[in-house]
Amino acid sequence: MADDAAAPVTDDGLREEVRAFLENQWTGLLQGETERKAWFAKVVEARWAVPRWPTEWMGRGLGDVQARIVESEFAAAGATGTGQDRTNLWANTLLAGGTQELKERLLLPLLRGEVGMCLLYSEPGAGSDLAGIRTRADRQIDHFLINGQKVWTSYAATADYGMLIARTDWDVPKHRGISFFFLPMKQPGVEVRPLRQITNESQFNEVFLTDAICPEENLLGELGQGWGVLQTALAYERSVMGEGARGPRSGVAESKNEEPLIALAREAGALSDPLIRQEISKVIGLKKLNALNTARAKAEMKQGTSSALMSLGKLAMSRILHEEARVRTMILGAGSLLEGPDFPRAEDANFLTLNAYFTSIGGGTDQIQRNIIGERVLGLPKEPEVDRDIPFRDVRSG
Amino acid sequence: MNSLAAEERLAFQHSTARLLADRSTEVDVRRTMETPSGYDADLWKAMADLGVVGLIIDPAYGGAGAGPVEVEVVFEEAGAALLCSPLLSSGVLAAGLLQALDDEDANLRLLPAIADGSLIATAALTGPRGTWTPGAVAVRARAEGDACRLDGRASFVTHAHVADVLLVAANAADGLAIFEVEARAAGVAVTPAPTFDHTLRIAEVAFDGAPARRISTSRPAWDAVEEALSLARVALAGEQAGGGRRVLEFTVDYAKTRLQFGRAIGSYQAIKHMAADLLLESESATSAARHAAAQLAASASDAKAAVELAAFACADAFVKICADAIQMHGGIAFTWNHPAHLYLRRARSDAQLFGAAAFHRERYVCELEAAHG
Ligand SMILES: Cc1cc2nc3c(=O)[nH]c(=O)nc-3n(C[C@H](O)[C@H](O)[C@H](O)COP(=O)(O)OP(=O)(O)OC[C@H]3O[C@@H](n4cnc5c(N)ncnc54)[C@H](O)[C@@H]3O)c2cc1C
Repeated sequence: MADDAAAPVTDDGLREEVRAFLENQWTGLLQGETERKAWFAKVVEARWAVPRWPTEWMGRGLGDVQARIVESEFAAAGATGTGQDRTNLWANTLLAGGTQELKERLLLPLLRGEVGMCLLYSEPGAGSDLAGIRTRADRQIDHFLINGQKVWTSYAATADYGMLIARTDWDVPKHRGISFFFLPMKQPGVEVRPLRQITNESQFNEVFLTDAICPEENLLGELGQGWGVLQTALAYERSVMGEGARGPRSGVAESKNEEPLIALAREAGALSDPLIRQEISKVIGLKKLNALNTARAKAEMKQGTSSALMSLGKLAMSRILHEEARVRTMILGAGSLLEGPDFPRAEDANFLTLNAYFTSIGGGTDQIQRNIIGERVLGLPKEPEVDRDIPFRDVRSG
Repeated sequence: MNSLAAEERLAFQHSTARLLADRSTEVDVRRTMETPSGYDADLWKAMADLGVVGLIIDPAYGGAGAGPVEVEVVFEEAGAALLCSPLLSSGVLAAGLLQALDDEDANLRLLPAIADGSLIATAALTGPRGTWTPGAVAVRARAEGDACRLDGRASFVTHAHVADVLLVAANAADGLAIFEVEARAAGVAVTPAPTFDHTLRIAEVAFDGAPARRISTSRPAWDAVEEALSLARVALAGEQAGGGRRVLEFTVDYAKTRLQFGRAIGSYQAIKHMAADLLLESESATSAARHAAAQLAASASDAKAAVELAAFACADAFVKICADAIQMHGGIAFTWNHPAHLYLRRARSDAQLFGAAAFHRERYVCELEAAHG
């Protein structure tokens, strides 16, 4: 089986194989978590989840062009579960840096969507400046002891593991003393306290780590080399954020076969307003441009080297989300004063207005993205950093 | 529409880029833009020999048989080099209009000479309102036996002052039609208008009983005009994307070398963040222009929407890049000798030609409504 899968196939042969699989297995809609997990398990088993990966880990070793054929066939059928070699941040980070033991334990469950995950990066004193973290990991005989505090940790309350950055060396400059772990979350040393968000939801949390235990084999990359692993993980996160975000949450359906803004304006009797038509045109244009940019970037890039150009996508998406929310509000006018289930359109416009900050702050703020684009893509000089080359012990915080 | 094989297209792009790098330098542009004709006749001949002037013209009439994708690629180079030439007027708009009308006699008469550069043609499609819509046409045609005569005026006619032949939209008794007029015939007065963009030439054309030949077509004439305008808009979009990219390049280079307060100005976020935003504009313009070209070449169902999107996105992007570039340079870019203003002038002109951004945004929404109607 593994050998078969590795053998080179023609584009047409591959397309037929995917179609046959989808025809036999894909039923259309997935109802609920159980069905979703069962479907993902099937996709993994049939080696369609991560076609670019090596056969050893249920991949097919396909190049980007053929992997896209698989993705487009899935998309055409409306089926989910493939393309995880681009989009599954957890699994890709683990594949790139994990020990054999940890990969054997977690890779496939991650692809099947059976493991709850969270990102233990940000701290009260270290947000944009992630290299300034103060959570410590101290090596014991066969494990690490973790102490410190994380914050803004989305989905920590339900997570089984957290991708954790912690300091393991205090005597070297800040980027060099950091290590990267898969921390088991369900243990006494991990305390999760939900925070109420501006959206009136509670997805993100504070996480207090008090003598939490992390097994040695859960270290990714070498000790002290966690900054490099983090860059890989951030690249995947940003590329996903550049492709989209949560939509309306009222649950009251919007027209499926029409651009949502046009449908909303029609419904609100505002579609003949020339000013609103201009604004709608701008926003839909921005969305389309981002999709075109992403398509072009993908065509021009090999897998895994995506960080810089994808940063453009996240910056673009953040603008799109803020603009789309603004235009929704403009269309509703005074209607946006209201909220609650009886006013689903207002609820959506207001939610989207607030949730746009998820993309413009989370995963690296717009300002940080602009720094990255300016420095890594355009090659502009870095700003002087006063704390870059001194031992972390001597760095000021606040 | 037509397309060339990828290698052939690359060859066109590279040879155009080489020719322009050699013959359309900033010094050349500054010299040419101050001449009465506004273009370099030797360079024009070289471009014709290369096949660029007859790019979209059917090989049966001596052209290269290329299409929107090749036009876009060539205009990216032309935009970057601020090329002064009637290429858009003659090789794209007029040639495109003739091919869209498809009058065998007119094609035989005009296309070979357009392709080899010996004849310059342009299209006179709008009146003083400058909206490039049928309602703005301000020329009337009257029959006189077998012949026709035109009266009225056409505005914003690009490169009319060097044109040999004008293709004129005029209202005849049986509706709008396209007429071929000798630019130097009696009853035709071409008055060059001073232009903000010195690399562009525009004229007002008055017709006073001008002798004209009606170009026959089996379709509504304005449909053919729209087809030609789509091609011209793709060319403009390419020019805007290419021009914007060049301006961003020299601006970023400057930000790396200009020192203030002991640091390169590009290390300051006020500058760096503007540059990052402009890169997004520039890349988006490139994506939009190439997508429009590809959809038009494939006669895709969303080709019109793609052209409308490119028309406003590339126009806005080019203006923004040029405008911000001046700010990022400081005083040096306020001088006539610095190239930034030449590009800003081009950007502001391109943003009006063949319809302004707001017009295209409105049409984009209309396309989206129609697509789901
Ligand atoms: C909805 C949401 C979910 C999140 N989920 C997670 C999660 O799951 N896991 C996790 O680890 N983190 C998460 N975060 C945290 C997020 O990554 C940080 O909030 C973000 O990186 C900014 O850090 P900060 O909040 O400390 O702000 P700061 O870094 O203090 O920034 C404050 C302001 O200063 C600006 N600034 C800072 N440094 C610079 C600079 N060098 N140049 C220019 N401007 C600068 C910023 O752009 C910002 O405007 C989440 C955040 C949000 C909003």
